[in-house]
Amino acid sequence: MSRTAEFWVLILVLALGTWLMRSLPIMLHGKVSPKPWTERLLRYVPVAALTALVVPGALYLHTGDQYQFAPARLVAMLAAFVAALKTKNVVVTLVVGMVVLWLAQWGLSAIS
Amino acid sequence: MSRTKVSLREGAKDIAPILIGIVPFGLVAGADIIRAGFRPIEAIGMSVLVNAGASQIAATQLFAQGAPLIVAIGTALVVNARMFIYSTSIAPVLSDASPGLRPLLGHMLVDQNYAMTMTRGRSRDDVDVIPYYIGAWLGLASVWQLSTIAGALLGAFIPATWSLDFAVPLVFLAMLAPALKDRPSISVAVVTAVAAAVLVPLLPMQTGLIVSMLIGMVWGATQPGPETNEAVAEELAEDELPS
Repeated sequence: MSRTAEFWVLILVLALGTWLMRSLPIMLHGKVSPKPWTERLLRYVPVAALTALVVPGALYLHTGDQYQFAPARLVAMLAAFVAALKTKNVVVTLVVGMVVLWLAQWGLSAIS
Repeated sequence: MSRTKVSLREGAKDIAPILIGIVPFGLVAGADIIRAGFRPIEAIGMSVLVNAGASQIAATQLFAQGAPLIVAIGTALVVNARMFIYSTSIAPVLSDASPGLRPLLGHMLVDQNYAMTMTRGRSRDDVDVIPYYIGAWLGLASVWQLSTIAGALLGAFIPATWSLDFAVPLVFLAMLAPALKDRPSISVAVVTAVAAAVLVPLLPMQTGLIVSMLIGMVWGATQPGPETNEAVAEELAEDELPS
């Protein structure tokens, strides 16, 4: 299978699986109710999934198989975290994070 | 104007202020596809068919880094598992929809129109909630689609020194922060964060991400907290709505 064909398999399987998860409860409303253990397991999915997506990007620069600790990213992420807690605003969080990252990268390259 | 049209328009209007937060996200999603060696058609196809940004970016990056197909798909599906919670919670609100319309309403379910419909749309007397929800999605989907295409076309011209990729974890962070408001949620975040920091660079074939998410989920199941998906989703809708 070519790489492009493989990527289309990814798109289609991901699309189907995602559609099932987000549609089945709406489609089956009034017919079945979810099991208690699935509800327990799914309860903190948003926090777990989002945390796992944030942390590697806050710590590492990733090229190929190499993960290199990136202090500028950590500083920028901490600043953005404070902004996110205080403002709960996506745009403010983005701007603070990006500006601090640029400043930190510039500062670190000036030192070394 | 008919009530349905008014409802569609009001949904789009209410969602408008948060559309700008989607733009950098879409730019990165589109640019990632080109950087992975694919064409704009793949970027468009993925956005239309999957319609879930975080999972699209996660899947594309994992695939580009050489993760096995099953790992890329599995990780992205865990990222989207929260939509099952949203769906169980919004189902009673959308229960007037015909059986034919329901599969489409399911496809339209994303973080922002879920939160907007649950916090604002369903309590407004001047709109019908189903067209309101569809109107909010139309606003989101058009901006998402246009910014993905822009990212696919322009991504190659954005200098690497701008570190635009950093916008992706920043958007996730903005979504995460409001959810960290009680001890169990914070403990799930800490456990997941430590797992991700250690396991992502360590585990082979990019499996670190999905393993840390599963560790966080299992840890969360041992914590006290709301007992039903409805209760979980109500809490999310209250505080997850970014301004």
